[in-house]
Amino acid sequence: MRILGFESSAKSASVAVCDENGLVAQYFQNSGLTHSRTLLPMAEDMLKNLSLTLSDIDLIACAQGPGSFTGVRIGVSAVKGLAWAAEKPVCGVSSLLAMAYNGVAAVEGSTICCVMDAKRGQFYNALFTIKDGIPVRFCEDRAISCSKLVEDIENLNKSVFIVGDGAALCYNALKNLSVNAVLAPEPLRFQSAWGVCMAAESAPAQSVHELLPVYLRLSQAERERQERVFGK
Amino acid sequence: MLIMSIESTCDETAVAITENGRKVLTDQIFSQADLHAVYGGVVPEIASRSHVEVISQLSERALSLAGITKKDLDAVAVSYAPGLIGAVLVGVNFAKSVALALGIPLIPVHHIRGHIAANYIAFPELEPPFLCLAISGGNTMLVDVRGYTDMKIVGATRDDAAGECFDKTARVLGLPYPGGKHVDALSKNGDDSKYALPRSHVEGNPYDMSFSGLKTAVVNLVHNAEQKGEVLDRESLCASFARAVSESLVPRTMQLSRELGYKKIAVAGGVAANSRIREDFRLAAEKEGAQLYIPPLSLCGDNAAMIGCQGYYEYLAGVRAGSDLNAYANMEL
Ligand SMILES: [Zn+2]
Repeated sequence: MRILGFESSAKSASVAVCDENGLVAQYFQNSGLTHSRTLLPMAEDMLKNLSLTLSDIDLIACAQGPGSFTGVRIGVSAVKGLAWAAEKPVCGVSSLLAMAYNGVAAVEGSTICCVMDAKRGQFYNALFTIKDGIPVRFCEDRAISCSKLVEDIENLNKSVFIVGDGAALCYNALKNLSVNAVLAPEPLRFQSAWGVCMAAESAPAQSVHELLPVYLRLSQAERERQERVFGK
Repeated sequence: MLIMSIESTCDETAVAITENGRKVLTDQIFSQADLHAVYGGVVPEIASRSHVEVISQLSERALSLAGITKKDLDAVAVSYAPGLIGAVLVGVNFAKSVALALGIPLIPVHHIRGHIAANYIAFPELEPPFLCLAISGGNTMLVDVRGYTDMKIVGATRDDAAGECFDKTARVLGLPYPGGKHVDALSKNGDDSKYALPRSHVEGNPYDMSFSGLKTAVVNLVHNAEQKGEVLDRESLCASFARAVSESLVPRTMQLSRELGYKKIAVAGGVAANSRIREDFRLAAEKEGAQLYIPPLSLCGDNAAMIGCQGYYEYLAGVRAGSDLNAYANMEL
């Protein structure tokens, strides 16, 4: 199965092609340029350089969040357009699960802590453990405060490998505690389209209409309205 | 030539199929108005979320109602500016991918150019040159339409758009969103000379406009009445307000048409649905012996057919975009 993957849930953007032998190609950019300008041109160039067309692709995978609302929507919209026009199945995967594949570099049994800076004092987070070389979920994707996350990690009482754009923040919060925390080296900290393809391999395919962003958070207007109506 | 066009700059998601510009095979519009009503105005994040939820279904439905398949499409046109950036991004990224996957040209279309082109759909005989007043929630401008893709802004609002002013008036009167049509309905039974409201005049360009003074005047009038416990004659306030807006727009447009020597005058955009403005234009054009073009209400608001129509003329002019096309909140006409 040949998978074309898209990742645009944070500042970096990447696209990748994977097949049963693993990674075939990956284009990555962490320039800060808007994904609207970079994501699709990367995919177009990558396919061209591989002498592939969309007809050679079996599944289009997409990081569906959590992450930057706009970033996630750019990826999902682009994937919807491709999959709808080319009549391909899609697979939306958690950006945190995709990122957890960076943790397979850590030793078997390690805890992989995926953290994205969600602002407002929160992280988007999920915890995984590496079992037989793949990440296995400990908890659902969530928006969580730094202090609560630190508490969870302390309670696990295991060495933890931290990835994601919130990794440095999280690491700093842990380093004076009795936790054996490892900050992923920079190239492994970013989520990647390779991870998206890996996560999609074992997930069910969806129809294009079913693919939707996952925000884990209400819009500001909805949140403020709920606070007005129901109190904090 | 069959074009699939996509519009997502504000709170309508729309997909149309048009043939050779002016023939509309289908124009599917998913309005989010009720999602935003509870907030009294468009919430950009909610609009963006809604666009991405419906865009592929809407495209599917447009094709099937037009009775064609994807392979029949010759190009994809997309409204890429101006608008709520998060909202525009959804349509732009979807459209780029569709064009890329189908291997057909992608045509970027300026949203206001689209509004102007709604007139080509409504009036098959209309051709440039003509003068167009484009009035909507985000824009108010007098455009010299010299050719299908050759346009010059002669005058524009220096502050608020006319539509913004309608929305604000509706809000301060506690009318439901979208407020324009409620203000319009109330104004029909009011006395349009009961409340004295300002007509703006800006220094420099006689064709530039300003609506912030009018907006403030209405807000102050309502707040003062509330403080004094006075009951406002809402119908007459709406009538006086609609008249003030109309008198800022219609005489200016007529004066400019005389100066440019145009006998063809078009009106475009959501505010062109206002009955007072339509009627004042009708009377003014009749007096002047000018030909007036105002699209039916269905083509005044945001839709994708107008984007497909303008897209056709942009295509003929050689306008194309690649997969790096971006969306823009603001863009020169
Ligand atoms: Zn508009």
